[in-house]
Amino acid sequence: MSRQNTRLDVKKVNSELFTLTYGAIVSQLMKDYENVEDVNKQLDRMGYNIGVRMVEDFLARTNAGRCYDLRETADKIQYAFKMYLGITPALTNWSAAGDEFSLTFDTNPLTEFVELPDNYQNLKYSNILCGALRGSCEMVQMDVSCWFVQDQLKGDLATELRIKFNKRLEDAIPAGED
Amino acid sequence: MHLQILQVYFSDMALCVAVVSKENAPKYVTSLNPEDELQIQYEIHSSIDFVEEKLKTGKKDMRDLYLGLLYSTEDHKIYGYVTNTKVKFFVVIDSSNLLLRDNEIRFMFRKLHTAYTDLMCNPFYIPGDYITSENFNKVARGILTGNS
Amino acid sequence: MSAEDVLFDMLHSEIVSYLVPKSSEDEDLSILEHLGYSCGWRLIERITKELPRYKEELEVLKFICTDFWSCVYKKQVDNLRTNHQGVYVLHDNEFRFFSKLSNGTQYLKSAPKYATFTCGLIRGALENFGISSIVTVEIIRMPSCKFHIQVLPSSS
Repeated sequence: MSRQNTRLDVKKVNSELFTLTYGAIVSQLMKDYENVEDVNKQLDRMGYNIGVRMVEDFLARTNAGRCYDLRETADKIQYAFKMYLGITPALTNWSAAGDEFSLTFDTNPLTEFVELPDNYQNLKYSNILCGALRGSCEMVQMDVSCWFVQDQLKGDLATELRIKFNKRLEDAIPAGED
Repeated sequence: MHLQILQVYFSDMALCVAVVSKENAPKYVTSLNPEDELQIQYEIHSSIDFVEEKLKTGKKDMRDLYLGLLYSTEDHKIYGYVTNTKVKFFVVIDSSNLLLRDNEIRFMFRKLHTAYTDLMCNPFYIPGDYITSENFNKVARGILTGNS
Repeated sequence: MSAEDVLFDMLHSEIVSYLVPKSSEDEDLSILEHLGYSCGWRLIERITKELPRYKEELEVLKFICTDFWSCVYKKQVDNLRTNHQGVYVLHDNEFRFFSKLSNGTQYLKSAPKYATFTCGLIRGALENFGISSIVTVEIIRMPSCKFHIQVLPSSS
């Protein structure tokens, strides 16, 4: 049987499958939990588990050394977004003290096809990213907080993820999965 | 005077856009003039049979998703397009509109198909539900007004 | 393995551990299967937009089990057989989602849940093509497995 044009664009199909799979679990969580806050927490927890494991892979791929300040860490995070999600967020809005910054996205592969129903306005659809950042930073002895400041899904012009450095963790042993 | 009437057709691209599921249930319809909507819907309904016919008896090498003109009445021309998943799209134009060529109609269907696949990938859209998506509606309305 | 693939594998395994907790005695894989089904169904809508029309069942099955499979699982199917009566068997000697599991027999018991999403993915993809099926997995020795696709008679 000879068919033309059956070549699939491997990269595109796989990134779409990733987006769809993430969408499927978010919509499953919305069914499983009555409270949207619990969905946000669960997404964060999944992200945390992924982040904790992803650091190894990232370090192995990049031969990255130790970061001495948050600016270096920010560059690594930016690079990780490019490697794993194919997007390069801008590093913006540094605080005067240099302990807080934002990742600003003009596209977000996770939300590519999403139209948020009106009654889902409290859902932090991409909250897995916050968890992943928190988890991976923790593995390199950094305690950070992450949250969304703006989200295109909710009509904002850009998607902005804020990262705040809290403290350096002395204990090299990770807290483990929670 | 005659020129003025023509101008209406210049700006109005299609009269109606409709989506019919693989089970032949209507899933979306939007029309330029609400007063002909019933008549047009009836004509679309009748042309579903022509689609099935075309798919069945079509030559084995008929690989194109665009089926072309299905049916025409004094007032309307009905064009069809069927996805690989058997979802049917219809575009109805005014029979006196001579400006729209096959290529333009094809282009309308491509836009509709793209919007449809985007909708199917929205995790909060349940396949089979009637289409109420704003994004999809925007594209379909764009085809009616030519402002897409 | 590309970085994107690593991320997908991690998401997949997070989903598996959320939907099928280790503690549960009687594993319920149906939601996980349904998740795969939904993804396969939606993805096929998208992929086939650019493809010419498919007409024959065999043609669709070949497309899903070869082109689609190698696109998602990054390798050719090792073996694809059919009895020409609606049964297709797809053999993968090194299934992607088993690569992170140890190959010992003690892990054999937890292996099926790592293939369930894929069973659903195939079933969903076929279903949207108008082909109803039952997809099951047979794991003999890790990391190899066989997916059995049984096409159900069409209702129309």
